[in-house]
Amino acid sequence: MARSVQRTPGRNPRRTLSLLTSVVILVGAAGCGGGFSDDKGAAGDSTGEVRMLVNITPNLTKSYWEGLVKPFEEANPGVDVKIEAPTGSGVTDTLPQLLAAGNAPDVVETLMADKVLAPQMLDLTDQAWTKDTPLVEQASLDGKVYTVGVGQQAQSLVFYNKDAFAKAGISAPPKNLDELTAAMGKLKAAGYLPLQTAGDYVTGLQLLQLSDPSIATKYPDWYQQVSSKQAKVGETLRPLLERYESWIKSGYVDKNALGLKDVGAQTNFLSGKAGMYIMGSWFVRTADDAKPKFDLGVFAAPTEAGQPSPGPQGVTMAAPYMVLKSTKQRDLSVKLVQWLVTDKTAVQSQLAQDGNFRKGYTDKLSPLGKQVQDILDQAPKQVAQGEGYGANTLPQGFNGEWNKAVQSLYTGKSAKDVATRIDSWMGSKS
Amino acid sequence: MRARLTTLSMVGPALVLFVVMLVVPVCLSLYLSLTDWDGYSANPAFVGLKNYVNLTHSAEAIRAGWVTLLIAAVGTVLLSVFGLGFALLVNGASRLNAFFRIVLFYPHVLSALVVGFLWSAVLGTSGVVNGWLTSKGAEVLPFLSDPKWALASLIAVLVWAGFGVNVVLYLAGLQTVSKDLLEAARIDGASKRQTFFNVTLPALAPVVTVNLVLSLVTLLKTYDLVVSLTGGGPAGSTQTAAYLILWDSFHNNALGFGSAQSVVLMVITAGLALTVARLRARADRGVQA
Repeated sequence: MARSVQRTPGRNPRRTLSLLTSVVILVGAAGCGGGFSDDKGAAGDSTGEVRMLVNITPNLTKSYWEGLVKPFEEANPGVDVKIEAPTGSGVTDTLPQLLAAGNAPDVVETLMADKVLAPQMLDLTDQAWTKDTPLVEQASLDGKVYTVGVGQQAQSLVFYNKDAFAKAGISAPPKNLDELTAAMGKLKAAGYLPLQTAGDYVTGLQLLQLSDPSIATKYPDWYQQVSSKQAKVGETLRPLLERYESWIKSGYVDKNALGLKDVGAQTNFLSGKAGMYIMGSWFVRTADDAKPKFDLGVFAAPTEAGQPSPGPQGVTMAAPYMVLKSTKQRDLSVKLVQWLVTDKTAVQSQLAQDGNFRKGYTDKLSPLGKQVQDILDQAPKQVAQGEGYGANTLPQGFNGEWNKAVQSLYTGKSAKDVATRIDSWMGSKS
Repeated sequence: MRARLTTLSMVGPALVLFVVMLVVPVCLSLYLSLTDWDGYSANPAFVGLKNYVNLTHSAEAIRAGWVTLLIAAVGTVLLSVFGLGFALLVNGASRLNAFFRIVLFYPHVLSALVVGFLWSAVLGTSGVVNGWLTSKGAEVLPFLSDPKWALASLIAVLVWAGFGVNVVLYLAGLQTVSKDLLEAARIDGASKRQTFFNVTLPALAPVVTVNLVLSLVTLLKTYDLVVSLTGGGPAGSTQTAAYLILWDSFHNNALGFGSAQSVVLMVITAGLALTVARLRARADRGVQA
């Protein structure tokens, strides 16, 4: 690890400095290694504390999480599930800090195993209950299960204002991207902002969500082709980038949208100013709560002209959980995670709280939620998106880099520039 | 021997804290910058100066460096000018001045994240200002959606949020200006402008130095306001060095590269702060001579 040179300490200041430096580096190296363990954790007791690091959002508050695990604590006397909120800006940056400090939690929610994370996580492949959890196979890494989830999030959805469509003379939701562009023209003519976008993470995410069906149809093994350098991300996505560029030039998206945060964009759309809003299925919860004054519908993201419709649907795992290998409460942690993803009440609660979906849990869906479930059911295939998961992954940081690149379309860069930039970034990561 | 032990017992606790809280992290950063650590792996590989070489080729890091320097340079000047200007306005013992001092210092009490979110609600595309403009039939102003405007907005909000400290420092400095000298200047018939430039400002020289160095160092570390106001956008145009360090370290799992950036930022910050302090000291000596 550290290539420190050991010398005999003496009175020579240089030697003393070398020794001190070596000690500091070794202490530091030990600090880096703190909490990393190559074993499979300690089985632990049947009682005690299980620490769970979770994502905190407006939907998923700390008190919600504490209420969620309360039945588990009641069913297991002597067990205390300690909910821990991220100390950084999110779970992504908090977990490495806790690992480096040798203070890792037992369970982590939000993250999914990739080649960097997997060595720190417990292999759950031998747990029979994992087989029936959503997307478990797709999220597995080299055939091993590290991540299990509560449900699915549909990604490639276009929410739309049915009243605006009617006013603009659009009789049916567009099935391909040419029809989508034509619909935008009609919406603009009718006085609506055709497509609501925003800055933050939204710009790049929306284009990825829109791209999933077309890309997965044209390149069924897109992730593998990109990984093996048979295809380039920028080149394959360039037709969609060019289309998006043309939308900016035509005024189909607000040229000042980058000055909006996601909440502002949602408010604009739900107030009836915009015709369409591309977003994942978690938006159903927000839309249901907002009770917009117009008739709100949703359709699957269109494919390229000539491709079958509906196309493959981008999906991600909702509420993914992993158990850390360093846990001293392995059995209790696994028991907790099993309960979180298989107990009907716990699953139902998590699905409803964050607008997620799972087969067999459709009876309490809102009308808009039912439309999303229909889209999921009718999709010929479910595919990964962006950084992806399991065998279908792009380098860590892709989503952020893609977002910045797509935003540069608003600041004067061309689709070709964006494609080149993203391919150059991909090249630097290989 | 006893005296040494006494000295050690007095200095020891502070020294331990200094080493643990400052020296070790700095050494650790230096070490990590020579590895490819991703934040998770137990055995980061030693890569020598590769991260530093990559840094010189990273267009994004270079751009973030220039953005940071621009923010630091413009922001430092504005903080000092506004700080001194307002300090002169509210200098004097009256209830109204006391009230204005509190008002001027108030933004600094707020968390930078809160300040950022508040101002994004004011300057955003659907914010208060643009809402008012559109209600009057005017065009939306791209405060946060155009790269140049966003950078200007960021600097303006940084100055708004930070100049209260400069006001307080200058106010403290103004209390130390010799009343005898001011009186002598008045008797000699000096105008207010002459009195300010020839008596007050030279007397404030040490405070100016402190203000400049503090502002410079603070602005070189700008992070939280970027997160809450612009998110580094549009298109990464307002990413500062500190923002990119955190981004690369945790979003890109490149803690080795992030550490290299932090080491470079630390060296540049120390270099600039020392340069400013030395230039100011030379200027002060010139004034005294």
